[in-house]
Amino acid sequence: MSMNSRSLLLSPNPNSLKYRFTNGLLSALSRINRKQSQQPRSAREIRKRHRLIKAAAYGSMASSVGNRRAWSRALLWKIRNQTRRGYAARRNITSSSRQLSMKKRICDLQKGDQSKNRVEVGGMGQVDKLRRLVPGGQIMDTCSLLEETAHYMKCLVTQVKVMTSIVEIYSLP
Amino acid sequence: MDPIAGTVPGLDALHFCEEIQRLMTVPPPQQENASSFTALLDLPPTQAMELLHLSQEPEANLAAVRPAAVSGEPSCVLPFNSSLMFPSDAELIERAAKFSIFGGGGEQSPVAANPGVDLERVKSEPAETDSNPNSSLETKTNNLRPSAKRKEREKKGKVSVKKTKIEVKEDADKVPYVHVRARRGQATDSHSLAERARREKINARMKLLQELVPGCNKISGTALVLDEIINHVQSLQRQVEFLSMRLATVDPRIDSNLDHLLAPESLSLMQSNFSNMAPPLMWPEFPISGNRQQYQQQWHFDALHQPGWGREEDNHTFNTPEALLISCNSSANSASLHTGHVKTEL
Repeated sequence: MSMNSRSLLLSPNPNSLKYRFTNGLLSALSRINRKQSQQPRSAREIRKRHRLIKAAAYGSMASSVGNRRAWSRALLWKIRNQTRRGYAARRNITSSSRQLSMKKRICDLQKGDQSKNRVEVGGMGQVDKLRRLVPGGQIMDTCSLLEETAHYMKCLVTQVKVMTSIVEIYSLP
Repeated sequence: MDPIAGTVPGLDALHFCEEIQRLMTVPPPQQENASSFTALLDLPPTQAMELLHLSQEPEANLAAVRPAAVSGEPSCVLPFNSSLMFPSDAELIERAAKFSIFGGGGEQSPVAANPGVDLERVKSEPAETDSNPNSSLETKTNNLRPSAKRKEREKKGKVSVKKTKIEVKEDADKVPYVHVRARRGQATDSHSLAERARREKINARMKLLQELVPGCNKISGTALVLDEIINHVQSLQRQVEFLSMRLATVDPRIDSNLDHLLAPESLSLMQSNFSNMAPPLMWPEFPISGNRQQYQQQWHFDALHQPGWGREEDNHTFNTPEALLISCNSSANSASLHTGHVKTEL
């Protein structure tokens, strides 16, 4: 079963991020494959599968990090909201009160930045770009944003490695 | 260097006692600190008295902590060469300063609490203040106060004393509340201090990020480094997207594929020494900046090339893709170790 794959992928440290991530991802993948009875051949089905797998990858990554990091919390919250209200929730902008409060927080943060003349890391809007890239980056101040970026980058690297190895296993004849 | 003690009349001392007792009933919350404060002030009580008299203000805030010494000694004749044995307690001085009646007027609390780390300098300080007894209160107290915080900068001798005076002139028009030794040519305003601390924090985090992003060490300047970081994050996210697309298109029969990987092979692989393997970098070209258009082509090329590449290794453990997984493991373990390291730093 998939236990073989796990034993292959996860020999060393059972407490590492990679171990937890691989476990989560493989179980999510097997769940997805069980749900989809036939092989996806149409483009729409492939796209749907693609979305599911991507969500599973980010979701298992965030779960293995847990609540320790702000970006993982933001990711988990986003995913839970998506599953709760369907995929339309992704396009909804101001539907819930929590989102409103988040927006307020964003405005306050931006106002605070402007009022105190924080011009050290202005650049050319790079910090804003970074905020958009890192999940949950809109509500962080610059200092913690950099810290979260560092951890997020490391987790992304782990994610890429594990996923390439999974693809390798799959592409075996 | 003449001791001024003889000029103090006894009435002043009595006035002191009342003030002190009044002040004593206002307990600062740091009780444990207060006890140490008394301890250190009790040591050379006469010298503390001397310094208090120097300031020529009846509000002896520090004397609030020293009941016994003050009551019994109206006249103290002290040579200034005596060693001032105040243990360094700069934090306490700050707190005492905040609780005393400072405002914009007399900053004089740390007068008696000079940390005697560098005794010579402390001796030179009173010598200087003594030389102009008619100088303003602020100058004197500012001279003595920053010396209390000069624990780390023992190398600067008399130059620092002159710097203090310059700083005093800068701060004269503002309302100086906390005097901290600043570096040469930098302001000591509380706002600028906070800004400086914040900037240093941000710079430390940027350095960490630079170490994470490959090829970022040579770049200098915040903007370019941030550009690099953004590129790297974007490329990583794009990789995840491609990989998930690949997983979606590939044959979804997980179990049948993996059952082929039998136990004996995997066991032999796992028993090999992981640390000896130099994990092959599977995406060596990706961290290069600026080649964003080439990313996709490189990725496809690498994806096709990997199985053959794995077999070309002379190490027998690299024959099958499981070895790649295991090598992934070993390299990722170093990554997780690095994670731990960064966590402790951060």
